[in-house]
Amino acid sequence: MPAIVARNLTKRYGRAVAVDGASFEIGRGELVGFLGPNGAGKTTTLRMLAGLIRPTAGEGRVLDERVPGPALRRVGTMIEEPSFYPYMTGRDNLRYAARLHGGVPERRIDEVLDFVKLDRASDKRVKAYSQGMRQRLGLARSLLWSPDVLLLDEPTNGLDPVGIAEIRENLRAVAAEGVTVLVSSHILAEIEKLVDRILAIDHGKLVYDGPLDALVHRLDADAVTYHLRASDGPALLAALRALDLEPVPEGEMGARVTLPPVDADALVGRLVGAGVNVLEARRQVDDLEGAYLRLVRGDGRPS
Amino acid sequence: MSAFWNVVSAELFKLVRKRRTYVLAGLWWLLLPTLVLIVGRVLVSNLAASFANEAGGVDLLVQTIASPFGIALIGVVGPAYVSPPFYVIVVAALAAVLVGEERSHKMWKTILVAQPSRPAVLAGKLVTAMLVVGVLLGGALVSGIAFGAVGTLFLPTTFAGAWGDLLRTYLLQWAFSGAIVAFAFLMVHLARNVAVGLILVFFLPGLLETLYTVYAAVVGFQPINRFNVFLQGIRLRQVLEDLPTYFFTANVYAPARAPVRELAGAFTAEAAADGLDLSGLLGSNITLERAALVAGAYALLFLALLTWRFLRADVD
Repeated sequence: MPAIVARNLTKRYGRAVAVDGASFEIGRGELVGFLGPNGAGKTTTLRMLAGLIRPTAGEGRVLDERVPGPALRRVGTMIEEPSFYPYMTGRDNLRYAARLHGGVPERRIDEVLDFVKLDRASDKRVKAYSQGMRQRLGLARSLLWSPDVLLLDEPTNGLDPVGIAEIRENLRAVAAEGVTVLVSSHILAEIEKLVDRILAIDHGKLVYDGPLDALVHRLDADAVTYHLRASDGPALLAALRALDLEPVPEGEMGARVTLPPVDADALVGRLVGAGVNVLEARRQVDDLEGAYLRLVRGDGRPS
Repeated sequence: MSAFWNVVSAELFKLVRKRRTYVLAGLWWLLLPTLVLIVGRVLVSNLAASFANEAGGVDLLVQTIASPFGIALIGVVGPAYVSPPFYVIVVAALAAVLVGEERSHKMWKTILVAQPSRPAVLAGKLVTAMLVVGVLLGGALVSGIAFGAVGTLFLPTTFAGAWGDLLRTYLLQWAFSGAIVAFAFLMVHLARNVAVGLILVFFLPGLLETLYTVYAAVVGFQPINRFNVFLQGIRLRQVLEDLPTYFFTANVYAPARAPVRELAGAFTAEAAADGLDLSGLLGSNITLERAALVAGAYALLFLALLTWRFLRADVD
């Protein structure tokens, strides 16, 4: 039974379409990244799944119940910048949320504060908190009632690198306990280090749903780029041109060349056969950012 | 605990941590009775030994306003006669905390995830407001008695008074405050901005009622001549007497204004005997039963609109 299901989830504001028929399923215990540029529809999708806004069409289901519904009591969220009552302390903000939800013992508040390393600042008023402290407190609040599903929207916004690493570790620890986590971000490096599966959305449409590696390699399928270096640069360029390729010189001894994947494996052998003394041949592996940019620009979009 | 009581518990937790709760209580429980005691003391100092008190009029006046009963009575009557009425100030301040600030602090997205039952959230917040209004009113009664008791030490006052009627007045005014709570919640929820919401709460009813009164007075008003001037006068007086009986502001403070209205009724009865009936103009033709019906109808209307809007609204 999937923990999160979106079926043709659609949200329109007048004539503008914020989310356009998004459909996906996320299994229990999965840690999934939700990628998309600003305004792509990530937050709107998360809001619909959290029962905060009503879909124009389609439906969202969490823990096998339609949202909004009682299953949302087992969901923790941090959507956009976390909000608090500034006149209350961090601990009192958690106490308020705990009372609202019900069934949260006081020791659980200490646990989550300790988990996000805010235990020493918990008795300060939130108006004195830094952005990073607010993010941590928001994460603590989302974990307060030990949810089965976490919906997190840009949870590392405003954090320094140490804070980002800590939040990442926290999320891994939470997922390891079997909590389903859907975490959105437009910071690709962050997602790359955190999740195995990606949902990518662009202009309201889900453009990719699959493993992280597959996204990178799938987009690599159309063309492969090699960075080559030889003892004789001009001979290298001449040999590449003789193979009907279009090399781009890189320094005196190097060249970059893009070719169809089917020809890639034989490239070095053919250069050696042509008498070129190849010193280095490095295949350019597209990172997530490159793959993602190509995806949202429509270049190499999966069929 | 049910979702509803979870909300009540959380909202009370929040209000206890809000400074304005104590400011409102301080104004009602401390400032008002202190001022009354000072007035009582000034009356006694300046007039008790004068000719004005030869028939005991000053002592009677001091007993009426500065005795334990008198101060407790002023605690419920006084707030209905300031402008805008203190009741609406209290309720608007509570609505701002319970509904308005959720928008300005962007807390709805947190609240409605922690407690996804929107009916429970709305009902819990409304009941919390009523509970706090009840505590503030009850506190005014108790503090009035306490300050009055202190006053008996240096003023010619006693504990005499119609305590049963006073308790009934407090309870009725608390119940009638439900209509004000519903109205304030609706306005603050509809307004995108807390300040605009408060302005609507304070001034919209009076503004609409004034405009409607002017409209009703003008419509059908014919050019005055020597033949119809009397009839026009009667019609105008009838309009001015009848309209307030349907007005929100004239009815929701009816219990608190009843003691003064009774006094006014006695006064105008003498004038009526002389052929000058002013009772309608002073509003003494609004009975508590009728006011309860009108206030109840307004409360139902506001609650229906609020519920409809709240349950289906998207949360920013």
